[in-house]
Amino acid sequence: MITVDEKKMEWHQGITIRELLNRLEHTQFCAAVRLNGKLISTPAFETTKIPDNAVIYLLPLIAGG
Amino acid sequence: MAEFTLKEIKSLEYVRPEIEKGYTDHSLHVDLSSKDIKINPIEPKVKEKFIGGKGYDLWFMWNSVSGKTKWNDPENAICIASGPLGGTPGYPGGGKSIVTTISPLTGIPIDSNVGGYFGPYTKFSGFDILEITGKSDAQIVVLIDGIDSKIKLYEAEGLTDDSYTLSTQLTDYFDKEKPVNISVVSTGSAAKHTELGCLNFTWFDAKRKRVRYKQAGRGGIGTVFAHKNVKAVVARWGSVSMKSNNPADFDAMKNVTKLHAGEINELDPKQNRMALVGTTHLVPIMNDHDCLPVNNFKYGMHPEAHNIGEAVYEHIFDKGFDGCWRGCAVACAHGVKDFVPFTGPYKGQKVFVDGPEYETVAGCGSNLGVFDPFFILEMNFYCDTYGLDTISIGTGIAFVMECFEMGLITKEHTGGMDLSFGNRLNALELLHQMVRGEGFGMIVGKGIRKMKAIFAKDFGADAAIMQDIGMESKGLEFSEYMTKESLAQQGGYGMALKGPQHDEAWLIFLDMVHNFMPTFENKAEALHWFPMFRTWFGLCGLCKLPWNDIVPEDNRQNPEPAKVVKHVGWYADFFSSVTGRKVSPDDLIPMSEAVYNFQRLFNLKMGYGTREFDTLPYRAVGPVTVDEYLSRVERYDKDLTENYKVDITGMEITEKVAVLRKHREARYEQLKDAVYKRRGWTPNGIPTLETVKRLGIDFPDVIELLKANGVC
Repeated sequence: MITVDEKKMEWHQGITIRELLNRLEHTQFCAAVRLNGKLISTPAFETTKIPDNAVIYLLPLIAGG
Repeated sequence: MAEFTLKEIKSLEYVRPEIEKGYTDHSLHVDLSSKDIKINPIEPKVKEKFIGGKGYDLWFMWNSVSGKTKWNDPENAICIASGPLGGTPGYPGGGKSIVTTISPLTGIPIDSNVGGYFGPYTKFSGFDILEITGKSDAQIVVLIDGIDSKIKLYEAEGLTDDSYTLSTQLTDYFDKEKPVNISVVSTGSAAKHTELGCLNFTWFDAKRKRVRYKQAGRGGIGTVFAHKNVKAVVARWGSVSMKSNNPADFDAMKNVTKLHAGEINELDPKQNRMALVGTTHLVPIMNDHDCLPVNNFKYGMHPEAHNIGEAVYEHIFDKGFDGCWRGCAVACAHGVKDFVPFTGPYKGQKVFVDGPEYETVAGCGSNLGVFDPFFILEMNFYCDTYGLDTISIGTGIAFVMECFEMGLITKEHTGGMDLSFGNRLNALELLHQMVRGEGFGMIVGKGIRKMKAIFAKDFGADAAIMQDIGMESKGLEFSEYMTKESLAQQGGYGMALKGPQHDEAWLIFLDMVHNFMPTFENKAEALHWFPMFRTWFGLCGLCKLPWNDIVPEDNRQNPEPAKVVKHVGWYADFFSSVTGRKVSPDDLIPMSEAVYNFQRLFNLKMGYGTREFDTLPYRAVGPVTVDEYLSRVERYDKDLTENYKVDITGMEITEKVAVLRKHREARYEQLKDAVYKRRGWTPNGIPTLETVKRLGIDFPDVIELLKANGVC
């Protein structure tokens, strides 16, 4: 299991951030997530694998300084 | 600390105007030449049209300066105003001041939105706006004492030029028993030698028992302040509560405050964690998306960028509450204690550094090719202490470094200094020269536009290449975002009224990453709505960060998540509850639109404000050099072939650079056409008669101005 925005979700071996976002609704404006506290941005979504028991938060649309 | 004397030369006792629904309806004017102090009522029609904050600043400045006024003329005004909502404790970002003056860099009004307690304290002392004009022969300290209902002018002798020490001394002097009652505005000693001077606004950090800083950084306001011979302006006020603004509907105000603060307290730890890391979370995100300026905006990422991002600063920042206004839940104004500089007058001593924020990290770090978090702290500390804008300093030195590496300037011109990218010691030495008023640092302190002229005229440097790589527009240095791949953000910078600062529009991700605005009309709509809404914060005395840096959990279900419509609704409720003027979310844009267009007309009055001034250096639009093109060759080749339908078979890189430039520059001009049309401006970028009438800013002198410029 993984926790995404404080909701439990099924996990499977090899799932990437991109696959996770594809499973969720309304994620087209997500450009960064926190995976176990670490920032992961769009260019790494395809290649970043999510470990089991991960805690993930989807960051809001990046809005600049 | 050195001994100093304050000799009282003028004192005015006044009956403090009561605050009614967020307003005192009075202005305070100090003329430094005549030493006159005047308190005047503000007309209801001014309140209705200009709202407060930046709106008031611009209106008062408009009436003080002529179209021929230069920054160093006595009639140039420095205006500081909060706004009707400013000074609400607990409302996130609810304590801002907005500062304006005619900028030494641009010749047009500059505005800067700054934290610290000064604006609210001045309002609670009885004044919606402070306007300072004239020029004093002796150094002056202005005291606005709302507790004793007195305005005083002092001639100062022996006060230090060091901004931190000065603020501490004056805080002690004016209320040693309750230092939290004091907020000081000052600059530093480099402001008088450069055109990049900032203002430091203080609040007293009761937990750390020290004066803290936020900066009104942009456009050289500190330089004007120093030129007028103002040593400091001090506001003194006592208790603050949610009733201080005497809101029209206290319960409604309390309710919306609770909602917004509660949401931030709950969601910030899950989102950007600004209460822990400030805006440094942006460093790795910008880097990952090729938007972090590296080596004078030449590149957008660097493998060492993680050394200067949130992961490092989270551990360096001193833990504790860091709100620049009372009870702000965002609390992003972090600092570092016991930092020990390795150069300059504080070498080897422990100091407190207020910062860094993202802009300082990117400007004084990656853009100089430096990825050392402690070097950035030292640049941050000395810029604050010397009264310098970290953005213009960072972008300006980055330009110098590229000129040095290109051979446009040499050690012969720099006083023997190697100013290659990454040279930390010599970057710091430029700051120390600015404060001593000597050496090559004095040229750098004039800003990029004047540097370009000096390098060309005196050093024989190639003016054309400097025009391409000198990251300024309207005379103001760029803030720290890469715009090459976002046409919308090119517009956000190029058409920003005061010059390329991101506070009008930050559209890079919507445009570049999400492709949310594919057409010129889409981009023009965004370049209408966002600058107008962001302007609204400056009218009301608010910070924009709580609007869209922490957002409701269901925000992404909204078809236009960038607008954060739930928060827009809260802001309308907040405004209604304090002022008693019932507004809906749809009313906020027209409020800003009047002031926004008025500022554009102000630029016109000063001899600017037309299409020819909304230009960009090509570095902001596309690759200037072959190296730059080659570094992203796949991207640029694709742009040529897919977007511009160019057959690049057999093309040399130099030809590709030239062809891409032709297309991208044409595209920016098309964007200008679309934006001007959407804003109700002529193709030359001037508000039409119809627009000024619709917005109710068709004052007689505005009509005369339009006539003089062939609009009606």
